[in-house]
Amino acid sequence: MIELRRDSLVFSFPEVHPQAQLSVNFQRTLRIPDDGQEYPLPPGLGTFPLVHVDDFGKTVPSGWLEHGGVLLPMYQSEALWILFHSSYVDERGQYPFAVQVAAGKINAVTGETWSAGLERRPQNYVVAPQQPWLDGYCVRKGQIRQFVAMPLGAGYSAEEQISGKAEYGGLQISVFPMKAEEFKRRFPRWAKRRESVDSCLMLSEAADKSMGLAPGGLMKQEIFEDRFAFEDWDTTHSRCFVHIANSLVWRSITGANPPTPPPTSKEYTKYGYPWFDYYDDDSVPLPGADVLAQLQSVAELGKKKGDVPLPENESVSPSNVKVIRPRKSKEQVREGVF
Amino acid sequence: MNDNGFGDYIRQRREELRTKDSDFSLRKVASAIDVEPSYLSKIERGDLPPPSEKAILALAKALSEDPDVLLALAGKVSTDLQQIIRKRPKLFAELIRELKDMPDHAVLRVVREVRDGNW
Repeated sequence: MIELRRDSLVFSFPEVHPQAQLSVNFQRTLRIPDDGQEYPLPPGLGTFPLVHVDDFGKTVPSGWLEHGGVLLPMYQSEALWILFHSSYVDERGQYPFAVQVAAGKINAVTGETWSAGLERRPQNYVVAPQQPWLDGYCVRKGQIRQFVAMPLGAGYSAEEQISGKAEYGGLQISVFPMKAEEFKRRFPRWAKRRESVDSCLMLSEAADKSMGLAPGGLMKQEIFEDRFAFEDWDTTHSRCFVHIANSLVWRSITGANPPTPPPTSKEYTKYGYPWFDYYDDDSVPLPGADVLAQLQSVAELGKKKGDVPLPENESVSPSNVKVIRPRKSKEQVREGVF
Repeated sequence: MNDNGFGDYIRQRREELRTKDSDFSLRKVASAIDVEPSYLSKIERGDLPPPSEKAILALAKALSEDPDVLLALAGKVSTDLQQIIRKRPKLFAELIRELKDMPDHAVLRVVREVRDGNW
């Protein structure tokens, strides 16, 4: 079951475990420069608003109604990251979930087209809470390319580069809880948290209104290998289509204003605001997907097309980089102050 | 609650307020809701049935009471609620029956699922 609560998608599985609940939201952020350099993690600047597609049935493209799900607004060339927060179960710890994330039905971890089930080799999902967030496509070990919104049909999205079609856009998320008996076995009451964790181009009708996520600048981020047994995951799952509307289209669909555009990386860095670096020494990073590594970034592709798709793409040198480590506190804080 | 639940409740509430403020005399409240004092008096005593929805809403306002509660005491359902139900009678009838025995906190949190479609 999925609910929309305060701009978060809340996945719950009462049939598996009464407290198994994963909250997923979409964070506004800086677009890091797409200049071939590797950048640290940009901040979260608040969540994107989310609404039910069904609430705007008269104004959204009919294809969106068919997909169901929710809708969020992004400016062209704006970036986004996905925050995962799994519920605490009394005296045991955070409930684990396997989460598949795709953009335009291209899996962000493997680059493969969407498949409904979990796969281990190659691993086509991330594990929460071990993976606190996901900022982009996993291009190689310890490196991602940032999710950057581009109009579907313009040829920049990973979906168009890989499948040759501008069909879906948006984000697709599917969540699988750990089996309850495995959770109880691996996370016994009063267990020390460390031990418990360680054991383990054809345009569709909607194309002119939809945004797809394209690979932007390079960022240092590890996508971690699943530490649990593959059989630990329940086959019960819930999935959601997250449509991305161009901000102007959002206004015409919902009548509401989209959030103000985020600052540029240059402005943000100039004021000395923090960037972030996340270390998890106990986790093993996935190698990244060749098909994703071969994608052309928005800036590279724009250059070939003789286009300038990313305004204000100047390189920056973040000096204020705060290090975050897992399990220091209940909440991972990665917030900007802009 | 006896048969004159509505009249008793109104009189009790009005008298309570009158002890602190003379604006809540029978005459003044009747005038505020645009009825004759004798008519309001008969309603309070149960000699006459509860008044129209319009008068009940005016009374609720005058006495700072919840309009839906007063309407329910009078055995009525507000017109706007009736319209909502009439628009989708099967759905709302089913929903209300479903919620009938639920505790208040559960009713207050009616879950709306995000709908999945074909993709």
